[in-house]
Amino acid sequence: MKTTPDSFQVILVMPKEERSIQVSREEHIWDAAFANGITLPALCHQGYCLTCAAKFESNGEVDQSDSLVYLPEDREAGFLLPCTAKPRSDLRIRTHQQKEMRRFRKQKGLLAPYSWNED
Amino acid sequence: MPDRKDVPVVKPGDVTQRVGVEVIRARGVDVEKLIKMLIANAAAEFASTYYYYTILRMHLAGHEDYKEICEDARLEDRAHWELIVPRIYELGGELPNDLPAFHDQAGCRAAKLPDPPTAVNILTLLLESERCAIRSWIEICDMTFGKDPRTYDMASRILNEEIEHEAWFIELLAHERDGKSIPSGHFRRGEPGHAPYSKNAAFYNP
Repeated sequence: MKTTPDSFQVILVMPKEERSIQVSREEHIWDAAFANGITLPALCHQGYCLTCAAKFESNGEVDQSDSLVYLPEDREAGFLLPCTAKPRSDLRIRTHQQKEMRRFRKQKGLLAPYSWNED
Repeated sequence: MPDRKDVPVVKPGDVTQRVGVEVIRARGVDVEKLIKMLIANAAAEFASTYYYYTILRMHLAGHEDYKEICEDARLEDRAHWELIVPRIYELGGELPNDLPAFHDQAGCRAAKLPDPPTAVNILTLLLESERCAIRSWIEICDMTFGKDPRTYDMASRILNEEIEHEAWFIELLAHERDGKSIPSGHFRRGEPGHAPYSKNAAFYNP
């Protein structure tokens, strides 16, 4: 019988280093990183403001149902919001993608907090 | 403290630059980012005074005490908006000309009426809105502490009130949802919209 893993390996590709952490399926990636001494960007902690944005570097799945606003277009473009994302597979994600995600949302005419006058 | 020589010289009569901006930039403030964050926070306060309380408090029938506290919080958020806007322009920024564009800049989600609009759902929404505001304002405090005393003073006044709002809604939600007493530690405001910190009014201290 196939069992569902309780936790997953999440590799965080940050601007200056790469770290690997274990994240349980009921834990938000941001919280697990923080518990491991890694403070990723975040502001609202509600999956809304895009400050924590990250991008998938490989195939992977997350449960983003705790986010206030996470759009199908975000997933298609490979973005995730670690402050409210629970892993559903091992992941490799590039953090610090807030500018990129805002630019993407803005280009698509989607809700993009904090992007006023941003190129 | 920056070397005085590092502060760009603003020539006499030059209206394209502001000493009030260049001195804080020289002290390490990312002014453009600060403006963006102030616009986002202004949008959140503006939206909150509209959604959070005008609409939400209409659905608190039978809870007159909750309504009154919502009204205090609503008017204080409006006072915050009034404080922020002049600072945006002083820093060289401006509000978006388009209201929907402005609304969409808010760093916290608009608190639309929950479905069903029960007191518990409304109080939960209000609590999380205040929490988002606290996170947003402490970020501005961190950005400006020791570098931009004018923005810091404003942000810390607003933060003081947002922290009190969170305490109010914890108290009310704990009572309404869980039948528990978790005191806010506050007794009362004065008249509605008292805003002791953001309006520089006297504190209740008999």
